[in-house]
Amino acid sequence: MKSLWQPALLAVLLTLAGCATTPKREVVLTGNVMVDAPNAIAHGPPRDRVLWEYRLAAAAMRQGQFALAKQNLDDALLTLGGIYGNDPNAKKARSYFHAEAKKTFIGEPYERSMAYIYRGILYWMDGEPDNARACFRSAEFEDSDTEKHEYAGDWVLPEYLDGLATTKLHGDGSDAFKRAQAVARGVNLPPYHPEANGLFFVEFGPGPTKFATGRYGEELRFHTAPSPVASAELNVDALRIPIAPTDDVNFQATTRGGRVMDHILGNKAVFKSTTDTVGNVALVGGLATAAASRDRTTEEVGLGIALVGLVSKTISAATVPAADTRSWDNLPCYLSFASVPLPPGTHVATIQFLDPAGQVLPNLTKTITINITTTDRDKVVFVSDTSLTPQTL
Amino acid sequence: MAALLAGCASSGVKNPSGVAVTHINADEQGFVAGTGVESQDMVMVADKMSRSILSIPQIANAATPPTIVLEPVDNQTRFPINKDIFLTRIRAQLNSKARGKVVFLARSEMAALEQERNRKRQGAVTASSDPNVQEFKGADYFLTGSLQGLSTRTAAGTSDYILYDFHLIDARTSAIVWEDSAEMKKQGLEDAAYR
Repeated sequence: MKSLWQPALLAVLLTLAGCATTPKREVVLTGNVMVDAPNAIAHGPPRDRVLWEYRLAAAAMRQGQFALAKQNLDDALLTLGGIYGNDPNAKKARSYFHAEAKKTFIGEPYERSMAYIYRGILYWMDGEPDNARACFRSAEFEDSDTEKHEYAGDWVLPEYLDGLATTKLHGDGSDAFKRAQAVARGVNLPPYHPEANGLFFVEFGPGPTKFATGRYGEELRFHTAPSPVASAELNVDALRIPIAPTDDVNFQATTRGGRVMDHILGNKAVFKSTTDTVGNVALVGGLATAAASRDRTTEEVGLGIALVGLVSKTISAATVPAADTRSWDNLPCYLSFASVPLPPGTHVATIQFLDPAGQVLPNLTKTITINITTTDRDKVVFVSDTSLTPQTL
Repeated sequence: MAALLAGCASSGVKNPSGVAVTHINADEQGFVAGTGVESQDMVMVADKMSRSILSIPQIANAATPPTIVLEPVDNQTRFPINKDIFLTRIRAQLNSKARGKVVFLARSEMAALEQERNRKRQGAVTASSDPNVQEFKGADYFLTGSLQGLSTRTAAGTSDYILYDFHLIDARTSAIVWEDSAEMKKQGLEDAAYR
């Protein structure tokens, strides 16, 4: 017996040693993304860097800190653009013994598209509509690999803005307009007015978050909360412009379909379940055989089977099929857009947000003072229902 | 048990480790990080364009060095880029290699130049020549270009084709006196964990 147990004990210890972890880089969260994100980017796990950059960028845009948003989106998009080929962290995420969340976060396609949309808005703000158009094209591109073809590249606003930028750059944006109109479910898009130099990007409502279901949390799901804001209204000078949602981020999150990674997680779950069952059978059977036997050899065989069962149970316990539920959790639900001609001078714009019954939600109203110095360049205004107010641009 | 340990959850998935980006330039292959515009593309394109410009008769046989103004490049790809970088590289290459065969005009600095000239005219600063004489040069040619792209994404991966086109326009006649292009195609596939 002694000769069998010593190597067995060594094997178990080695197995357990495999579970030893390196010191974790944890950050204490305050709940304020403007504080947590810089801290997490600097001191948190590198695999979460892009996630926090996304979150910080969205929060910074709502605070009017556009340079900060730009800096974080640029770094995030650099990672996003260079994920091709072998990646050790992604390989780990595919292995049985690591969670999917071990991979470097770049987000699901709807999150990647949103990163490009925000960056596009910022490029336009800087007077670079062609680079903005490049971002809007990349936003559509990120959405082009859906399981169901009918949902591929079906963002409305990026397509519409692609055409608007082309029109403003003296090109023909009509194809992009047609594509946008074709995917705009029930929304009549306004024709392009190249002379309209005041561009209002409006977002509202809470966006999707992720959670996991399945026996081992291997199935990725999206939580979509009903938005308390259903539309908006822009008042500037004597103009009063209703703003209906053109894109629904929740819709984009939930229509992508299955991922290749879902297949991998499914395999992990089956492996975990099988090794657990094999472990149970071998452990119970082996111990029962050993206990019932009066023959030393049979007893040893029984204990050997039980040991195999124990190892199988250990492997099952170490298998992690959990889906990656890290979410860009401060995304909006709806995106929209309006453009108006603004002559040089100071203009005060008021954006009211309306509930599904069409009633104004007064605590969400935003006031923005806009200084137009030239009509040669567009004035881009970004407004969220969570934006800082008042703002001067 | 060994078989169990050796098992891989991603079995049955095509190219689970992904395929490294392949940089296809006619008959050449290399490995790059992304499928977008990168520094090696910029260097290659700028070098090709500057060599090509110098060989045209309007430049090579000009009695006096022609003056050229750089106009912004039109980016029609899906990649946001620093558009000035191509023209800056071409200008630097021409200035260092052409040795006075062409003269570039600093139109992007016109506001500062006009301000300085006005100071000289007002006597606020010294002038080595008569500041009232118009000495700002007009352009003989405009150098500009465009980047156009064609992108495809399927389960097999991502493919990006970019056409870099540059041309020199005669400022007097509007004739395009020179045009050259370079093209690149890159493709890659991300790890299955991202698909």
